[in-house]
Amino acid sequence: MSTLQIGLMYGGATVLALFSGIPIAFALGGVATMFMMIFMPAASVDTIAQNVYEELASITLLTIPLFILKGAAIGKSRAGKDLYDALHTWLNRVPGGLGVAVVIACGLFAAMAGSSPATCSAIGSSGIPEMRRRGYSPGFAAGLVAAGGTLGILLPPSIVLILYAVASEQSLGRLFLAGLGPGLLLVILFAGYAMLHWRTEHRRATATADAGGARGDILLVESFTFRQKLAALPRVAPFLILLTGVMVALYGGIATPSETAGLGAVMALLLIAAVYGAWRLADVKPIFAGTLGESGMLLMIIGMSLLYSYVMSYLHISQGAAGWIVSLHLSKWLLLIAILILVIMLGFFLPPVSIILMTAPIILPPLRAAGFDLIWFGVVMAVVMEMGLIHPPVGLNIFVINRIAPDIGLGQVIRGTLPFVMLMALGVVILSLAPGIAMWLPDIVYNK
Amino acid sequence: MSSHVAFDATAAATPPLDVPRHGALGVVQAALTLINNVMAVASAVAIGVAGGVLTWEVIGRYFLGIPSDWQDEFSTFLLIGATFGAASWTQARRGHVAIDALAHVLPPALDRARRLLADLCTLAFTGYFAWKCAELLNEAWQEGQTTPSAWGPPLWIPYGCMTIGMALLSLQVLLQLLGGSRRP
Repeated sequence: MSTLQIGLMYGGATVLALFSGIPIAFALGGVATMFMMIFMPAASVDTIAQNVYEELASITLLTIPLFILKGAAIGKSRAGKDLYDALHTWLNRVPGGLGVAVVIACGLFAAMAGSSPATCSAIGSSGIPEMRRRGYSPGFAAGLVAAGGTLGILLPPSIVLILYAVASEQSLGRLFLAGLGPGLLLVILFAGYAMLHWRTEHRRATATADAGGARGDILLVESFTFRQKLAALPRVAPFLILLTGVMVALYGGIATPSETAGLGAVMALLLIAAVYGAWRLADVKPIFAGTLGESGMLLMIIGMSLLYSYVMSYLHISQGAAGWIVSLHLSKWLLLIAILILVIMLGFFLPPVSIILMTAPIILPPLRAAGFDLIWFGVVMAVVMEMGLIHPPVGLNIFVINRIAPDIGLGQVIRGTLPFVMLMALGVVILSLAPGIAMWLPDIVYNK
Repeated sequence: MSSHVAFDATAAATPPLDVPRHGALGVVQAALTLINNVMAVASAVAIGVAGGVLTWEVIGRYFLGIPSDWQDEFSTFLLIGATFGAASWTQARRGHVAIDALAHVLPPALDRARRLLADLCTLAFTGYFAWKCAELLNEAWQEGQTTPSAWGPPLWIPYGCMTIGMALLSLQVLLQLLGGSRRP
């Protein structure tokens, strides 16, 4: 049987298994095992458990539960609300400062917690009601928080980038640094849009008020004394110190990525105990339960995805598919667009972890051959996966917003996120035109 | 897609779903729930200890000049143990994400058959994998296999965690399958 036929059968069996409703981890593991039994030497299948152990026994992969623990600890505390409140008091004089505060709070919280849903939930639970109270439209408020939350998979410690580092055999330190510039770019794009949107809504409300209509809440001017501004800082400062401390430990040569994950988790637990008094069993239990559920599920998918990729490689399916893509002789940018569309479409059904591990052996060789830097591509891929978090059919963040602000209709939330999907697409275009936005920092730090 | 909820760490701590609660199956499930809870606590402790060990590694090496030789491997064992140890606890909550897009388009009777078939396939794989883990464990135990590092801890420890975790996971899937087949 030819590689093409085996590859088509492998793909078909995978689609069938996934859509039958078998958990993703076991669907991938099951298909891989079945093909090992049929197409590989009889002894191969005896090593499946060992294969999974050896793939998982990577200290880089095992940073994931610890980064999740750190995110769950910070996400369960009131740190998000305090962070947002502090930024709000400091930025209230900026036109559209409330929206800008939400975006910056999302970026900082995402960098501390490393989780998109946790960011949406933490910042949105105080940011959305406050924006609505101040006259912002519900759809815009929801869209802004949903989009801000996506920064969690771009800014370090992003689990998506950790997996990409493993799958592409690129330096995790360089990838984390490469995510910072594009993260900042998206923060600027989102904040700029928030300011423009505020200006439009403000102008409309002013016209209505001038014409003798009701005076909209968006016209209210709120001011804070310097004392109030200073009072907002003490609760936020420890978390910002944690954020910078972790980065200094990682890039100052003090700790490896795995040690940074452990250090960050322990520090986060100590901080929420010290700042919020969250040290009792009742406080800690949901943090560990959440960590266990998410990390167990993710690592099981990762282990089985790696087994799946191993079989794909052994049977020359990935090499054959990569060779076929190269043989199409697509132009460099057409190849990139085709691959990004594939990533978006897979994102309709699969979580980012599976997409990265399953597609990396197929898409990375042609991209490398076309002259793309794989660190740069990892960041672009993360931005594209961010888009998947706020557009249907998956749109994880849309559903998180729906949970924390159930009175905003799903349709309104989706309409509110659409401008941000466009802004992210614009971000990808800007990154393609100016790859230095992603690459300058790792190049400087690592003395390319 | 069920991953909507399961990717949120704060939502992962849901109570067990669609597990048998009555009759003989309910008794077996109650016993398994107890074991699952013990395993979950042990796994949570393992994650916490791994964080502590890696923190100690930094402090020991950077501030006290103590060389690090065992910490990475020890943490790896703890985190692999936690992953497999909590697999059954996660399954009881249907926390292993699946694509359930067909649930919204199939007629109820056909969808029920699909769910049973999915559970059956899951059981076939997890059971087979558990058996392969047990073989690996036996081999590591008989031959006294260790990791290739200077510290060289025995490999039966992670293999044992994998075997127990996958066996409990298979039992949990079996109970959900049997419980599910009796529901209308």
